[in-house]
Amino acid sequence: MIRFLLRTSVLMLLAGAASGCTDFIEPNQLAFVMGTAVDHADDGEIEVSHQIVIPTQKSGPFGGSGDSDSFVVMSAKGKNVFEAIHKVQKKMTRRLMPSHRQLIAISEQYFQKDDVSTLFDKLNRDPANNLRDITVLVKGDLAKNFLLLDHPMEHLSSIATGKEMEINGMNRFSTRQFIIDSLSEGTRPLVPVLQIEQVKVRSKETGPIAALSGFAALNKKLKIAGFLNDAEGAGAVWMSGKGTFHAITLPWKNGKDTLSFRLTHLGRKIDSADDHDPQRIVLTVMAQAYLLENTTSLDLSETHYMLEVQKYMNDKIREDLQLTMDKVQEWGSDVFGIGEYLHRSSPYWWKSQKDDWDHKFKALDVTVRSNVQLRSVGASGTSFN
Amino acid sequence: MGAVSQSAEINEAYLRAQFQRCSDFVLRSFTLRDETRLMLVYLDGMIRSESVEDNFLKPLLFDGLPQGIDRISSLVEMFRREWLPLTSIKTEDSLDGLVTCVLQGCLGILVDGETSALVAQVQGYEKRGIEEPQKESTLRGSKEGFVEHLRTNTSLIRRRIVHPQLKMESYTVGKYTQTEVVLSYMQGIADEQVLSVVRDKLDKIDTDGVIDSAYIEEWLENNSFSIFPQVQNTERPDVVVASLLEGKVALIANGTPSVLILPITLWSGLQSADDYFERFVFVLLIRTIRYIMTFISFALPAIYVALSTFHPEMIPSYLMISIATARESSPFPTVVEVFLMMFIFDGLQEAGVHLPNQLGPVVSIIGALVIGQAAVEAGIISTPIIIVISLTGVATYTIPRYSATLPFRLIRYLLLFVTGMLGFVGFAFGILFLLIHLVMLESFGTPYLSPVAPFDGKRIKDILIRYPFALKSGRNKKGMGR
Repeated sequence: MIRFLLRTSVLMLLAGAASGCTDFIEPNQLAFVMGTAVDHADDGEIEVSHQIVIPTQKSGPFGGSGDSDSFVVMSAKGKNVFEAIHKVQKKMTRRLMPSHRQLIAISEQYFQKDDVSTLFDKLNRDPANNLRDITVLVKGDLAKNFLLLDHPMEHLSSIATGKEMEINGMNRFSTRQFIIDSLSEGTRPLVPVLQIEQVKVRSKETGPIAALSGFAALNKKLKIAGFLNDAEGAGAVWMSGKGTFHAITLPWKNGKDTLSFRLTHLGRKIDSADDHDPQRIVLTVMAQAYLLENTTSLDLSETHYMLEVQKYMNDKIREDLQLTMDKVQEWGSDVFGIGEYLHRSSPYWWKSQKDDWDHKFKALDVTVRSNVQLRSVGASGTSFN
Repeated sequence: MGAVSQSAEINEAYLRAQFQRCSDFVLRSFTLRDETRLMLVYLDGMIRSESVEDNFLKPLLFDGLPQGIDRISSLVEMFRREWLPLTSIKTEDSLDGLVTCVLQGCLGILVDGETSALVAQVQGYEKRGIEEPQKESTLRGSKEGFVEHLRTNTSLIRRRIVHPQLKMESYTVGKYTQTEVVLSYMQGIADEQVLSVVRDKLDKIDTDGVIDSAYIEEWLENNSFSIFPQVQNTERPDVVVASLLEGKVALIANGTPSVLILPITLWSGLQSADDYFERFVFVLLIRTIRYIMTFISFALPAIYVALSTFHPEMIPSYLMISIATARESSPFPTVVEVFLMMFIFDGLQEAGVHLPNQLGPVVSIIGALVIGQAAVEAGIISTPIIIVISLTGVATYTIPRYSATLPFRLIRYLLLFVTGMLGFVGFAFGILFLLIHLVMLESFGTPYLSPVAPFDGKRIKDILIRYPFALKSGRNKKGMGR
């Protein structure tokens, strides 16, 4: 019996090998998609663009010489994502490989005119998508134009943006996170916003660069509820628990001098007020602060100055964040996940509220508190001036 | 032909007939002063002739037999008891026995009119001196290695275990070679069941000759078709001694410097003598590296093929693009390329083993130039594959025993084959079959994967960590403490 099984399996293996019955695909038969852009097109269609790496046989992974020939952007229009991608594939000599995608860029126009939630069905359903890529919103331009940009340091604009986000401590904005936020009832997605700016990168050269310029808060239908600028956005990221580190500069009491801090170990905590009233929420942000620059005349090696600065810093942070909170609350977009907290803490109350959460979130009384510890004032006490 | 005859002529005729056309056979007959006829038989080059001349011929021919010979009825008895100052001497009644002894290098003495012959052990042939073992060199520890001479080898062991419980049973194997094989074990520590199995198998060996201990190895194995060796061979006396103390059994065959140890497990092939000579924390690191390298040595080519051609999404993005760039102009599929490189690598290695020493550099130059440079520059072979194959090749030689590397070199091809067709599914199947085989395999009653499977909490202390000796209580079986 064993001998029979052994012979059969060997024969089957040989039959497989002899008939060339394998389904491997060589890396040089693949087109690695590093970025995808989604734009609005007329007649209810969408335009999907793929930024594809050209692996060239030169030094380094991306070819080294010539900037322009390290990638190609292919785009096509279609009624849904698949149709558009399929049309792109028809123009390609290689099979599209979206698993290594770094970024999905969606234009502001598309957010306004089309239904974004339909995009993500393809991404969820198709196991070839890893959902580790970042979803960003391109403001004031076509998302496709973003893909077409060169970057002065990186070879691909999508890799550049991915690195930029990561190096600045914002690594919780993956497509996966976006989908989780958009499907949960008590959280709304917060999407990074890219804007194309003209930047003088070399003495003779001024070129467009896509830079992170804040965040967009979306509502239940994934329409843009409002834009937050860079500083407000950073605060919102902190309050939504998605930040890892952050830097702030505060004016000192005299209005002239400034203090700069690096904040690490960012965290936040949501609580109901003392009487467990779900209508009154206290959001506490926590961090560890390191003083990086001090133009005031305070000698921070003195403990009482240090405590004073810490208290002042907490007050300012609380003020700023409260302003941001009020702004977002006006839009009715709960990007902080307060609804999720209430869902857990007061499930029965939540049942009656969840249907029109965007509206009810506006009426919520949210107080921001700040609990930032000043951990280090650096090597010198007084400022040098 | 039976017993030694009284007639010297009959004996001489028989011996001459037996050793017909043997140019090294010497039969020297001479007559003493008292007319006693003596006959010496031996094989030239096998005995120490000076010893025979000094101890036997000179006194006998110059001085004659001592007086008062009447006390002893036979001359042979007299020689045996009084005359020959040799430690090992015996009488032999049958002519065939005499022939065997002569063939083994003894001196035979026949006296006319007496029905027994005297056999004196005066073997003195050329043999190699004890040298440092070439295949298993260690940084620290004994530099002595086994040689071809059986008694030298047994003495190397005996000198290290000064205890009468160390037994050396002798067997003769091979119809023509009549090779002496010594079964060595520690009585009371070694498993009696294993011993009786080995004795039984040694008795049943039916072969014309034993050229190397490998011949015995094949006769002993239960599963000759397995790719894994079930008997370990070593050139190091300290390894044998350690194994004996663990309750294993050693077989020493005459004419071969490799001594067999059994039973073994998969892990004993992966352990080096140095592991026991260095500090145990360092050994933990070294063994971890060695086990990982062992895995690399048979799995890396297959894993590379599976990852890069079946599951490119599993490789980190930047690395994948690097690989894709390097493979952009490759004409062959990755599997074929990897197979070619493995084939060439093993071919070069085989060539290196057989080449005369003077030609060695030629192979390395051609190998390095042809494979390392020309093939890559011509774009036929891509660089990642060179890296994979050289890493695999290096990894193979982190396994301390040569014979333990062989199964892994074979598995490498098999795994590549199934993985090339089915990707990681094939890889999983390959590993599964390998594990099934290993779990089923036994070496003389010891499961091949023990003490990992079946799990033995005490003995497992020696597998990865090698506990300090004071803590390592988990000795193999009952017996004395080390």
